[in-house]
Amino acid sequence: MRENTVALRPPRALWVSFPLGRPLGVPGDAAFQHRVIAAGLSLLQAPSGPVLEDHTEDMPPGWVGNETGSACPVEFAQPARVPDSWTGRLSAELQQLVPWYELSLRRRDRTTFGLAGLEMRQIVHHLGRLLDGSDTEVGDLRSFKYMLEDAKAYYTEALTARPGVHPPDAVAQWLYKDSCLGQGIVTLYHRFAADPATAGFARIVSPRVALGHTTGDDQIDRPEGER
Amino acid sequence: MVRLADLPEYERQHLLAKNLPALTPAAWTAPSKPLSDMRFALLTTAGLHYRDAENFAFADASYRPLQIADDSRELVMSHSSVNFDRAGFVEDVNVVFPYDRFRELVDAGTIGGLSEVHYSFMGAGLLPQMYAQSAAEVAGLLKQEAVDAVFLTPV
Repeated sequence: MRENTVALRPPRALWVSFPLGRPLGVPGDAAFQHRVIAAGLSLLQAPSGPVLEDHTEDMPPGWVGNETGSACPVEFAQPARVPDSWTGRLSAELQQLVPWYELSLRRRDRTTFGLAGLEMRQIVHHLGRLLDGSDTEVGDLRSFKYMLEDAKAYYTEALTARPGVHPPDAVAQWLYKDSCLGQGIVTLYHRFAADPATAGFARIVSPRVALGHTTGDDQIDRPEGER
Repeated sequence: MVRLADLPEYERQHLLAKNLPALTPAAWTAPSKPLSDMRFALLTTAGLHYRDAENFAFADASYRPLQIADDSRELVMSHSSVNFDRAGFVEDVNVVFPYDRFRELVDAGTIGGLSEVHYSFMGAGLLPQMYAQSAAEVAGLLKQEAVDAVFLTPV
């Protein structure tokens, strides 16, 4: 945020217009990234500081908004025969995603999945039981958070497995609005937010963009004595 | 990053509330050598680490060293914030940790060299002063590595 940087006055800063989470801008575009870096390194030539420069290049057309050049590889509209339970719907969704996740592994030769030390089907099973109410124990919140992050990483890799342009807004739309997982995450957010002991934790369960409102500034992990 | 005008009102208000007083004392060090002789290190607040390192906690002022000898394909992200895009990192690590780009700058002779070790913090949940001890430690380690300048990618 340019406004935050103006207030903080670091010695040298380059402001870029790219979405949060992409300081170098365009993935896979070395020339674009080199132009960002060159603009940053040029700040070393400034005679005095603090210096805050605006990078003049935006993300290219196609990277902005929620229109994507390629369709979502998965049909998220659930057919009538899919079970009514969260567990059933999430399991059916995972079945659709597996081949796309495996394509991602082959194309990228890496995965960002693996914080929780569990397999994706175990994570889906746990989330499904929790959402269905057949299991009411979330367990350790840190472990649970890593499960959520792994689930989102798995989905993100599968949904963007095809080569091409995947604008951040389109990925967020698929992940948080269209998928059963995203609807489950929002449902869990509301459960955590309603309990004073976990209201702070709720802030790191669902993004604000999925809720359409701010999630406040409660401490994420409130000390025991303050609960 | 990102223009306020591109964000919904609730997001604008949330982010503007994060404005903090200016860092003090003001720091300014002029380079003492040309760019082509300077040795760089990368710093990121993306919550990156290798898969076998400890995940970051929800609010965590510690840091993780990123050895360049290790395989960047094993980098994962345990940043606690959910309010930023991760699809860019999924596609290309350089979007948050431009290691390949800096290697190319070394090869081209644009910069003098690259540190053997880079550092990752997790930028969420804490005010800047909570990072003072870790930041001082990293500054000392960078001096030991004879680093002249750092390129910081905030996430």
